[in-house]
Amino acid sequence: MTIIEEFTPLFAPKTVAVVGASAKGNALPNVFIRRIREFGFTGDIYPIHPAASEIDGLTAYKCLADTPKPVDYAYIAVSGAQIPAMLSAAKGHVRFAQVVSSGFGEVEEGKNLQADLAAAARAGGMRLLGPNCLGIYTPRGRVTFTEIGPKEVGPVGIISQSGGLGTDIIRRGLSRGLKFSGLVTVGNCADVTPSDLLEFYIADPQTKVIGLYIETAKDGRRLFDILRHAKAAKPVVILKGGRTQQGLAAAASHTGSLAGDDRVWVALARQTGCMLVDTLDDFIDTLLIFQTLKPRAQRPTHQVVLFGNGGGTSVLATDCYARLDLDVTPFAQGTIDALAELKLPPGTSITNPVDCPVGTLQQDDGRVAEKILDIIYAQGQPEALVMHLNLSAFVGRTKPEVLDNLVAASMRVQQKHPGKAHFILVLRSDGEPALEARKREFRDKAVALGVPVYDEMANAGVALAALASFERFRAARA
Amino acid sequence: MKDENPVAAARRAGRSALDESAGKQLLSAFGINVPQSRVAKGIGDADAAMSGLKVPVVVKVMSPDILHKSDAGGVKINLQSVAEVKAAITGMLTAPKIKGARIDGFLIEEMAPAGHELVIGGLRDPDFGPLVMVGLGGVFVEILKDVSFRLCPITRIDAEEMLAELKGVAILKGARGTKPASLDAIIDVLIKVGGDDGLLMQHAADISEADINPLIVSDTAAVAVDARFILG
Repeated sequence: MTIIEEFTPLFAPKTVAVVGASAKGNALPNVFIRRIREFGFTGDIYPIHPAASEIDGLTAYKCLADTPKPVDYAYIAVSGAQIPAMLSAAKGHVRFAQVVSSGFGEVEEGKNLQADLAAAARAGGMRLLGPNCLGIYTPRGRVTFTEIGPKEVGPVGIISQSGGLGTDIIRRGLSRGLKFSGLVTVGNCADVTPSDLLEFYIADPQTKVIGLYIETAKDGRRLFDILRHAKAAKPVVILKGGRTQQGLAAAASHTGSLAGDDRVWVALARQTGCMLVDTLDDFIDTLLIFQTLKPRAQRPTHQVVLFGNGGGTSVLATDCYARLDLDVTPFAQGTIDALAELKLPPGTSITNPVDCPVGTLQQDDGRVAEKILDIIYAQGQPEALVMHLNLSAFVGRTKPEVLDNLVAASMRVQQKHPGKAHFILVLRSDGEPALEARKREFRDKAVALGVPVYDEMANAGVALAALASFERFRAARA
Repeated sequence: MKDENPVAAARRAGRSALDESAGKQLLSAFGINVPQSRVAKGIGDADAAMSGLKVPVVVKVMSPDILHKSDAGGVKINLQSVAEVKAAITGMLTAPKIKGARIDGFLIEEMAPAGHELVIGGLRDPDFGPLVMVGLGGVFVEILKDVSFRLCPITRIDAEEMLAELKGVAILKGARGTKPASLDAIIDVLIKVGGDDGLLMQHAADISEADINPLIVSDTAAVAVDARFILG
């Protein structure tokens, strides 16, 4: 059986059993039933209940082995102690069981119960997710544990050892344009580990980029081997929780005292081409760049052109990008001469960074941007171009359509010069609600066209640096 | 390969670490240069031990009871003759921190030519298995912690990147008028320690920690002058 065949019942189940729904209809599993119905799940749903014959209008069954068809995915949220017996009695009738209940290995007194749970899952012939997690969001299978989440299948596959953070990733990721091929919360990993799911996502044609939030990797060697053999076929972004600098307290050697957990993860990333990030924001920003832009190993990104309004912003971004090992160097004279022929108003800088005050950008109602970008693309040989607009600076000074035209011009230029340079849009605002609303509208439009949008230059820089490091890795090793 | 695997022998003897001589035997079996050396039981066989060695030599006490040989007065360097070697051994036998210890013998070893001092280490992580480390010796490792780790097995590119990552790499390349170190020789040792067929992968089940300290690297060669292997 291939890894895809093995995990298809999880990501696209035809039958779902729900353990813990109450006849009164107010427990978390009842909410789960409501959510997957709303999400468009069309397969069979089997509530499992010791006494009730019907739950939420569905026929209920006494145990997992009793359902009319085998269960592809069982969602289990009842008190922990009763679960092992339930699983071991399933007699090969269940493919995947996700135990969201807690009170297992995450607490000292639950360690034995977790061992029992894992043994019961083996005895019952199923794979086990969790315990101590929240569930799965899989748009292709129309199953979700979350309130929100679009039905559209995207390219970002997520594995999260934390349930709550999994929800954050969906919510915040969506608001920044991420679209998911799946998100699995794996909790204590009593059976299925992030390595298993990583193998699936690497093979999964829907998934283009993989995000992993991980705290401990008990099967770290396997994780390393999977990543190593994948040879950076897909970008993998790792957010590691608990990166201690501390060496081994009891180390007998120099080497032992110098090796913290952090060193291991840095080593793993360098050797396998994974991107190791420090914050949830960096995680989402980095996933977004890989969702939208195609890594270009034949010409790794180094030279970046900045174009937009805000002189100080350009200067700060140039410094920030230099620290990220990106290079904002002035154009060659030919490009400068070509831009000079546009006879832009005084106060415009045309060397790179190309700094255009609002007065310049509103020329031709914003269509001037297209002329500037055309010259940069044709002559400036950018490896990446970051166009930044400080939306606040336009308020009260220009017609509203100027911003529309600027954004539209930037999109058109992409189509004219396909694959020439990575293009990123930074839309800066002061949080004023009307501006935020416009930003959202621009963002949706841009991301749909494959242009990533960031709130600040630094966010774009971090993501671009990650893309560059991935390209360099592939260039050196592929 | 030696007829007896030093790791297996130490395990069988119930030792928790390889002594220096066994450690060097192990390094040598993996093709890593170690100084020519002989073991003398005492002054009685010092002459015989010295017969195949070129001066200057260094004498080091071999004892499972002495962890820090230099601190105990158990290392004498730059000895130019058999007489000086015998005097060194006699001196050690009366040193306060040595005379009560179990003594396996005295390692008499040719001195490595001058060069840059590096540390190459190994460690078995409970989740990830063997790791290999490299750093420049002295303050670079001890104070600045300027070291680079990789999971084993490493490739040649990994080894190159490990060195490139060190802040002190400019010194190896000959900054401040020093003679450059052979980066190729260091990379070669890193691969023999941490590569696919390297020492750490081949003995992953037995070696929990390792320090080759110092590895002395000239512009042409690298020599492992001291090594510690912790078993477990």
